[in-house]
This record gives sequence, structure tokens and C-alpha cells, in this order.
Amino acid sequence: MRIVIAEDAAIMRDGLTQTLSRRGHDVLAAVAGPDALLQAVGEHLPDVAIIDVRMPPTHTDEGLRAALAIRRDHPQVGVLVFSQYIETRSAADLIAASPQRVGYLLKDRVADVRDFVDALARVASGGTVLDPEVVRHLLSASRRADALAVLTPREREVLTLIAQGRSNTAIASAFAISPRVVEKHVASIFAKLGLPPSSDDNRRVLATIKYLES
Amino acid sequence: MRSWLRGHPWQADGLLALTLLVVAASQLPAGTADGATRAAYVAVTVVLAATVTARRRYPVTAFAVAVTIGAAQVAFGVQYGAPAKNFALQPNNADLAILVLLYTLAAYRPRRVSVAGLVVCLAGSAVAVARWGPAHHAYSGTAVLTAAAGLGCVTLTAWVLGDSVAYRYRRAYYASVEERAARLEAERDAQARIAAAAERARDLQEKRARAVDESVARLRRIERDLHDGAQVRLAALAMNLGEIKEILEPADEHIRTLIETAHANAKQTLTELRDLARGIHPPVLDRGLAAALASLADTSPIPVGVSVRTVTRPSPAIEAIAYFCAAEILANAAKHSGASNVTIQAEEKGGRLAVTVTDNGSGGARQVAGGGLAGLLERVQTVDGQLDIDSPPGGPTTITIELPGHA
Repeated sequence: MRIVIAEDAAIMRDGLTQTLSRRGHDVLAAVAGPDALLQAVGEHLPDVAIIDVRMPPTHTDEGLRAALAIRRDHPQVGVLVFSQYIETRSAADLIAASPQRVGYLLKDRVADVRDFVDALARVASGGTVLDPEVVRHLLSASRRADALAVLTPREREVLTLIAQGRSNTAIASAFAISPRVVEKHVASIFAKLGLPPSSDDNRRVLATIKYLES
Repeated sequence: MRSWLRGHPWQADGLLALTLLVVAASQLPAGTADGATRAAYVAVTVVLAATVTARRRYPVTAFAVAVTIGAAQVAFGVQYGAPAKNFALQPNNADLAILVLLYTLAAYRPRRVSVAGLVVCLAGSAVAVARWGPAHHAYSGTAVLTAAAGLGCVTLTAWVLGDSVAYRYRRAYYASVEERAARLEAERDAQARIAAAAERARDLQEKRARAVDESVARLRRIERDLHDGAQVRLAALAMNLGEIKEILEPADEHIRTLIETAHANAKQTLTELRDLARGIHPPVLDRGLAAALASLADTSPIPVGVSVRTVTRPSPAIEAIAYFCAAEILANAAKHSGASNVTIQAEEKGGRLAVTVTDNGSGGARQVAGGGLAGLLERVQTVDGQLDIDSPPGGPTTITIELPGHA
């Protein structure tokens, strides 16, 4: 993958650069602020940009705003926003226009390097990645508690992974069940919640998030 | 009686004048003069007696009139070496009016005026005796001297009595002046103390505001430091441990277990550190009250409607207090009220921030010592804010907090 990193903490910026380079990825630029990020993205048009939410000058949501700008100006560039804190509102903002090529993860997730790189690859190849924490928030704060109560425990687990942006194949391997069983679960969930069935993973995520949020 | 006399000076002095007339009337000699002369005698006597009615209002004028009549009597009514020729101007008991007026002069006018009056009276007395004595051969020189001394003594006594009254008045007046001065000084003292207390209150208020602002700023700094320091280092460390874990996979079982434990601990610590930092200062507060309350609503299991109408942004300390209060109220509503809907309204009212949280739950929310609402009140009171709970049994519950624009 061709990657641009924007992270103001040098230790994390360097750590990510080393880790990703060691795995054969091409880190085109590693910058510390939103302006340098927009410039690097415009220049390199990477497969994916890893963006910290809190960056100078105000250390509030510069990264998020830069990510939204990239999605508007360079829709072909994948954007993975990572943050020390999860705000469901930020996740909703990021996927609002289109759930493609976008990810929102807690910074902690870099600890599981392989999962993190997998998530990066999914974003780069057009998929959606939402942090399990976001999905947990959405589920616990959902006004649709009554409807969700109708789901079986397994269906709830599957719904959680759908909301995180996992494909049927990934869900199947996560639960060690066959993809056909997953398909059945998905069909059942969508029928119970009254959502239109969709084979497209990204549309599926959007529909799920919108449902949980509404 | 006394108070009536005091309250009606004209009437009282009128009575005195009448008394003088009565004692003078007995002296009217019968058959010694013609009718016109007798009428003139009566007129002079009446005027003399009447002067006392004006004694308190016009002491000097009344005295002057009486003394003038007295002087005329001495000049024309007392004849040297012969009986009086001018019957109308013969002295009589009404001349006591002069003593009364001398007394009045001494009591109501400055001493130099009354002393002048005294001198005039004494001189008049001396001349009167000097002219009267030789006209009455029957009296010896001793009798004349006795008359002069007696008249002088009576005159002096009238003056002394009046002067002592004036002295009492003056003393009372000085005492009242002194008392007023003392009272004024006490008032000035009290005002100075009040001013000092107000100054101190202002000073304390400013200090408290600074302390509240500083404590919020310090908490924010701690959160920033954690975010930029410990949290990011720990994340990098966890990432390194994760990498080692992957590289080591086929290696020594013991080392792998140790690394796995370290990796898991690092991740757990990251989670705990995040919760800790968020409790110290939610970073979303930096983006304003509207964003912070919206984020609060996002994580609430009850649907929450948020409306924020503020023109000027309150100070960070006030925003933090408003946020934590709203969070507490929302948590209470979710836990106890059974509400299906909550609204949070934040608006500016005359430079103050009012946050109103209403739920359609079962009501009955009240403050208990050590409870959530009591904690809320304490928080609000650190900046002179107000907390108002309206929660009748059966609901709905409306809790309003009002905070100043800055601490």
C-alpha cells in the first residue's frame, strides 16, 4: 500500500512508519499537522491516509476536518482516522457522504498490528472500518432497543461485525462458521429490522449505522 | 399643666400679662386725677403688661419697649423733691414686666445682650431710687439704701435665673452636639467597615474565580499531557509488544507467554488511562458546549434532544460545570426516572447560562445528602450558580441550573 501518515506525536509517527515499512508498505510521507497532510495527499494521492484527530494548532478536531476535506477533494484516497477517544458523532460525519474507503479506529488498535494493517488494507481497497467501540456505543445508545431485543445472541454478534464493516467471509472466519450460515443470519437480521437486503458490504454498513443512530 | 404651658407660649404669656394687670389694677388710685389721665395711666399699664406676651418671640423688642416705658416713668412719673406730677406715668406693679423680660433676655439671648439689659435695668433702678428717695422725706437714708439694694438684688436675681436657664440650655445643646458628633463618627466607622467587607468580598470573589478557572485549566492540561505523553507512549509500546508477539510466534513458549501478558496489560492500561483522562476533562468540551452536549446525547440510552442557544461562549470552567451537571442529570434520568424522552436546553439569559434538562419520567427527584443532586448543587455553588429542581410525583422532571458567564 502507498500510505501517508499524519500524527503529531513523533514516537507514534515513527513507530507506524517503521512497522508499515517493515511489512513492505510504502510510507510516502509522515507529517505532524493538517496543512502538511493535505499537501502530501494532494502530491502523492496515496491509497490510504492515516490521520490522528487531535493535531496542532488547537488539538481538537483538526484531523477530522482534514479527513473530511480529503474525502471531498480526493474521493479515491482512503482515509483512516484514529483517535484516543471515540465520538460516535465523528464516525457518523465520516461515513455520512459515502461509507467507502473510510475507517475510524481507536488509537489503541495499533497494538494489534496485524488487525490494524488488515483494517488499513480494507479501507485502502474501498471498504469501511468502524471501531468496535463505536458500534458498542451505537448499540447501547440505540433507541431501537425493542427491535434489537428480537435478535438472537448470535445475530447480535453478527450485527456488531456488520456495523464494524466486516464482510461475510470475515464474519464466517471470526465465528468459524460457513459463509452460507452467515448469509442466513444476515438475511434474518435485515428482515427483523425491516432493512432492505444488500449484498454490498458498504451499503450494508451505512444502512446498519443509520438504523442504529436513528 | 407644664406641658400645656410649654406647648402654648402665647397663651401662657398672655396669662402672665393678665396676672400683671390684676396686681397693677389694685394700685389704681381713686379720685386723684381726671378721667383722661386715668385712661392714659391704664393704657400705659396695659402696654407694659402686654410686652410679656411677646417675650419669647421678640425678647429684645419687648424688653426695649418695657424699658422705654420704665425710663419714661422714672423721668416723668417720679419727681425729684416733689410728689409725682404726671399721674399717667407713675410706676406700678406692672413694672415687674421689666424683670420678667430681663429674665427672658438672659434665658434666650447671648450673654452680652442680657448683660447690657442688666446694666440698663440696674442703672434705671439706681436713678429711680435716687429720684424717689428725696421726694419722700419721711424715709431715712437707710431706707433709701435698702430700697436700692433690694431693687438691685431683685433685678440681679431675675438675670441670674434667666442666665442659669440659658446655661442649662447651652449645656444640653452642647451635649446633643457632642452626641451627634459621636453618632456620626460611629456611622462613619460602620460605613468604613462595610466598605472594607465589600472590598474583601470582591477580592475573594475574584480569587475564587481565578481558582476555579485555574483548576479547570489544570485539569485540561493534565488531560493534554496524558494524551500527548503517557497515552501515546503506551500505545507505541503496545504496538511494539504486538510486533514482537507476531515475530516471536514460533519461539520459546515461556517468552511468548510473558510478551502476551505484557501486551494484554499494556492494552488494558490504555483503556483505563483513556477512561481516567476522559473523566478528568472530556476533550470534546474543547469544541464547545453544543458539541459536548451532543456527544453526551449520543451515548445516552434515552433519546435526548439538545438545543444550545448561546451567542457568547461561556468560560471553559462554566462550560465544564454545565457539561458535568448535564451528564449527571442525564445519568440519573436514565437510571431512575423511566423516561422515554429527555430534552437539554442551554441558553443565554442576561449574561448567564441556563441549562434546563426535562424528562417525561415518573418524577419525585429530590436532593438527598451525598446523592447525585447534592453533588450537583455543590458543583454549581462553587461559581455562585443556582440549582432548581421541579419534580412532582408522576413527573415530568425539570432541573434547571443557572451559571454566571464566567466563574
